[in-house]
Amino acid sequence: MIGTLASGRDYCKELYRAWNAFWFSPTDPATLSLLRVLAGAMLFYTHLIWSLDLPAFLGPEGWLPVEYLRHEVQVQDVNGMQVPIWSVWSLFFWIDSTWLLWSVHLFALAVFFCLMIGLFSRTVAILGYLLAVSYVQRVSPGAFFGLDKVNVMLVMYLMLGPCGARYSLDRLLRLRHAQQSQPKDPVSTTPSTSANIAIRLIQLHLCIIYLFAGIAKLEGANWQAGTAVWWAVANLEYQSLDMTWLARWPILVALATHLTVFWEVSYCFLVWNRYTRPLVLWMAVLVHAGIALAMGLMTFGLAMIIANMSFLSPATVRRWVDPLAARISLLLVGKQVG
Amino acid sequence: MPARAKPAPNTQAQATQPPSRTQSPKPARPSSADPQLPWRPATRVLVSLLVAIHLLAVFVAPWNLSTRAALPPGYTPGTDSSGRPLPPPPPDEPPWQQPRLIRALAGIFRHYQNLAYLNHGYEFFAPDPAGTHLIRYRVSRPDGKVIEGHFPDLKSQWPRLFYHRHMMLAEQTAGMGEASGNHYAEHLARVHGGKAHLEWVVHLLLSPKQVRDGKELDAPDTYRVLATVDADASLLKLPPTEEHPPGPLPQGSAILQPYRANGGGR
Repeated sequence: MIGTLASGRDYCKELYRAWNAFWFSPTDPATLSLLRVLAGAMLFYTHLIWSLDLPAFLGPEGWLPVEYLRHEVQVQDVNGMQVPIWSVWSLFFWIDSTWLLWSVHLFALAVFFCLMIGLFSRTVAILGYLLAVSYVQRVSPGAFFGLDKVNVMLVMYLMLGPCGARYSLDRLLRLRHAQQSQPKDPVSTTPSTSANIAIRLIQLHLCIIYLFAGIAKLEGANWQAGTAVWWAVANLEYQSLDMTWLARWPILVALATHLTVFWEVSYCFLVWNRYTRPLVLWMAVLVHAGIALAMGLMTFGLAMIIANMSFLSPATVRRWVDPLAARISLLLVGKQVG
Repeated sequence: MPARAKPAPNTQAQATQPPSRTQSPKPARPSSADPQLPWRPATRVLVSLLVAIHLLAVFVAPWNLSTRAALPPGYTPGTDSSGRPLPPPPPDEPPWQQPRLIRALAGIFRHYQNLAYLNHGYEFFAPDPAGTHLIRYRVSRPDGKVIEGHFPDLKSQWPRLFYHRHMMLAEQTAGMGEASGNHYAEHLARVHGGKAHLEWVVHLLLSPKQVRDGKELDAPDTYRVLATVDADASLLKLPPTEEHPPGPLPQGSAILQPYRANGGGR
């Protein structure tokens, strides 16, 4: 009995230690900073595209008028009456003039650009999140798709940590300022607990995405039969690379279909093991690059690959990115820093 | 998963420049018993709770969307006086069994999910890939000019993301119902000025055998019209201007033509 209690106590202690190590160990913000650059670029491009027909998609009287969305689609039943759901919100629900629409849009583009280059990083991450939610709630339903979900997820967690600690104009500005006040140690970057929490949340959110994407596919007869990949590549509207030669290779179609389902369902388990993690992540690159190249979903594929980069260790990120960052900083402030 | 001794790719490289403490006038008061964990235990507990609640909200949204009510095992529908089987009752009535826990959790997190944009699932190409929907339109202007087009359209909608937004417009009409089609028609009539006629079309997919036999993916018989919509710009609500001050609208000016389904549904 005492032995059982002791082992239970040891288990709890070990669990407590593991939980703390998992969530609260400070980490180099290099990975989070790299994600800020890439997600910022993706957010900027995604929202720049709205400019091609801004009033039609986001204006009050566009393809789907705000009035219709708020009073017929985004509604809940209260005492037998259909009323707008208050918690579904968007700045664009209150914008009714073209000049204000464009002003907000240009401001949003500036915010996403600043996020990409890392100027006022934490502030623009918060603003970027609020703006990204505003855009997507205005077009849901209507013109949203998986890209918007991943964009919002990334910027939601970027704002939780010091996303401008590296690879940012903020850092270069700090460097320029600190060279005068602290010439011996101008740009030390301390490990950060909040950077670790932000990265962990992206990782776990990604696991949930893949788990439910896989479970949903398990319900599909064509995913079960191993033919679903054919129906995806045979869709002319998606097609950016002609893959219909697969019609003569049903075994390849079946292999790709089953591998996709097994990979999605098992991602949340296998990505945490250091031996299976590289396999799972390279499979992610393969699947999303394939979707990007063959099905024209370049932005969505890239966004998912960016999210998967949350599993890169800061050491790996620094090995790849620091040389480039050092060149840029040498160019801009005359000193090499990562 | 968190109990793994070495689970974390993220903590592998913490060796950055250490914080410079020598320039601080006073040494900082230690905030945690464990030097590896700078945050105080109370802070960690609070953050742990918030993280757990948030992740539960993230998890519940797709879980709720992917679960449905179920009939009890062995359920057999009754028969009418002629012995024909009756249709099952609506899914929100007995004997359908509701996923009560999931629905309860969804109710708790609903507004948080909406506020944070977590109110969606992740069913990419699931449960099965299907044919794409398109919108064909023809706008007849008062000057006799006719504007025709369709979306999505690779030739006129570039770059690819812009094309994809239009693809979603056509695709998500299916989930919204006929009113959305009316609004698309009204929008086109308003933009081009005239009478707009829309066709909601599904582009059916070809099997591997059909492709091996030489049939093209865009063969005419792969397109099937599901419904049509008409709208007239002269009857639409106009924005308040000096020429058209706000006031009562002419009768029947909002939703114009009934949505007529003239093709096989999916």
